[in-house]
Amino acid sequence: MDKTRMFAFAGRVLGNLFRKPATTRYPEEPIEYPERMRGHIRVEMENCITCGMCMRSCPSQAIRVDRKAGTWTIERFDCVQCGFCVLACPKKCLFMEKGYTEPDTLKKSETFTKPKEEKKEEADAAGGKPVLDSEKCVYCTLCAKKCPQEAIHVERKEKIWKLDDEKCVECGICAGACPKKAIGLKE
Amino acid sequence: MVGRNEITKITRAQFFPAVVQKKTENWRLVQICAVSVDHGYEMSYSFCKGYDMETYRLELEEEDEVASITQIYPCAFLQENEAKQLFGVNITNIKPDYKDKVYRIDETTPFKKKE
Amino acid sequence: MAKRSIVPFGPQHPVLPEPVHLDLILEDETVVGAVPSIGYIHRGLEKLVDKRDFKQYSYIAERICGICSCGHGLGYCMAIEEVMGIEVPERADYLRVIWVEMSRIHSHLLWLGLLADAMGFESLFMESWRIREKILDMFDETAGGRIIHSVNQVGGVQKDMDSTMLNHLLETVRDMEKDLKPVVDTFLLDYSVQTRLKGTGILTADDAVALGAVGPMLRASGVEYDARVLGYGAYKNLTVGPITSSDGDCYGRCEVRLKELFQSFDLIREAVGKMPAGEISVPVKGNPSGEYFVRIEQPRGEAIYYIKGNGTKYLDRFRLRTPTTSNIPPLVETLKGCQLADVPVLILTIDPCVSCTER
Repeated sequence: MDKTRMFAFAGRVLGNLFRKPATTRYPEEPIEYPERMRGHIRVEMENCITCGMCMRSCPSQAIRVDRKAGTWTIERFDCVQCGFCVLACPKKCLFMEKGYTEPDTLKKSETFTKPKEEKKEEADAAGGKPVLDSEKCVYCTLCAKKCPQEAIHVERKEKIWKLDDEKCVECGICAGACPKKAIGLKE
Repeated sequence: MVGRNEITKITRAQFFPAVVQKKTENWRLVQICAVSVDHGYEMSYSFCKGYDMETYRLELEEEDEVASITQIYPCAFLQENEAKQLFGVNITNIKPDYKDKVYRIDETTPFKKKE
Repeated sequence: MAKRSIVPFGPQHPVLPEPVHLDLILEDETVVGAVPSIGYIHRGLEKLVDKRDFKQYSYIAERICGICSCGHGLGYCMAIEEVMGIEVPERADYLRVIWVEMSRIHSHLLWLGLLADAMGFESLFMESWRIREKILDMFDETAGGRIIHSVNQVGGVQKDMDSTMLNHLLETVRDMEKDLKPVVDTFLLDYSVQTRLKGTGILTADDAVALGAVGPMLRASGVEYDARVLGYGAYKNLTVGPITSSDGDCYGRCEVRLKELFQSFDLIREAVGKMPAGEISVPVKGNPSGEYFVRIEQPRGEAIYYIKGNGTKYLDRFRLRTPTTSNIPPLVETLKGCQLADVPVLILTIDPCVSCTER
């Protein structure tokens, strides 16, 4: 290692003179984004139940959900593209898409409104608070474990099944998780 | 290989001799951490030798004074100044003392109260 | 005695990517002392644990720094997992190692470029960064982001790598190794580079330990300490050892980082080969209660993560001691006795990351 060379980099420099540029000639050449790129959040409003899990999970508080108005708002310039809301969403209606948010001179937000005619269809999939059929229930606590809001409290020994109405977001996950089909959803 | 990683509680009287002993045994100062607890602070001083780490935990009342260890470990000045500015730990004789100006912020002791 | 004068250095200086200020005390052209000051970009991110729950905070932890983001996320998650007694699946451990080693390659190449730039060797700077681009593209493909990867979460990792990605990664690593050959030769053998680096800013092994140096700064002085040897995550199954140099000067620090690049290539290859199939994360229930100190080896040196939980979803305290915090005192020491013209190169050899330091 004690050797010393003069012009050790000269060969490379000369070689670089005759090579194609390492950069892409953007915007003349289009840019291809990889499949997994975390660029922006897309929401499928038809499946959204405005439960607000995304709003509460967002580290930069970029998402606002209004349950009454049925709207979902994202501050595009506050979003840090971490993808935590996509993981938190109980209905899996949030997606991380490729492509960056376009630059702008002002911070702007986007609001999506839940379509109205969704009501009927929603009734069988989700919607409404869970109601227990205590004859079928075996108090396995699976619903309490699956509940994203920790709104269900089950005690196996005392055979207690309690729902916290305040916390429940009517996502219907408990009904889907129940092995005995003891949970029904009622408006 | 698993290095040691222990926290030892220590009183204010034992503290200085213990740090001097670490210095004479050639331990490396790793970090100083202040935590606000009810009516006071917990100060943690960690030292490393080889792959072993030892942490001294000093519990302080809010008004308690603690002398700076910069006389023994000169490299402690940044972290001690930080603890003093952000938490308001009463550390005396830091060399060099930045006089609560390590971070150029307006608030005094912003980390002291838990929100 | 020559007349003393004080020259302010920074916070804005072409060599510094981030603001740090030094008051250099000069006797003619020789530096006899330096007073460092930081504090231009304090964001108070440690305090944010009061307002964000412990799962959210892993995304904030990795945004503390742009270069060592993957490691910060890992260190934070490891601390939480230790406190909560969570066993991470083995595949997640390996994936974490692969990503962290990739970020080491990216950080060291960035540093090599900046060092070349500080010496005035522009073409070498561009070449280092051109090679670095490949690993950034690889991050984009595997994690979805070039700089902030958001792959670590409490209990495992978010994303898996399939065999196409792993093969592409191995290919990239092989290409990069080949591309790096002339760059390595230039850094180690070129006359002009050696003239700038050899014998500049010598730090002896005793001083390095006494002043608490970490990472390549410590290892360049001949002290064998690399936190990866502790065997956290998948490192316990991989061959990893501290790379040292005996010189203790800028050249030694450059040599250590160059060799670590090749060590990282080997580690990636080994990890890909040994990675088992299986789950990549485990569900997390409950809240952390207790405290723990985690040490991990970041590209810039050993970083310490401390968490204290109180049984609620909000932590009592999160503390991060970054490598640069520890490397500033040795820097001040090595600056004494050097020439004013060498100051930019010397500051760069500690690989300062000021945003990390101030959090």
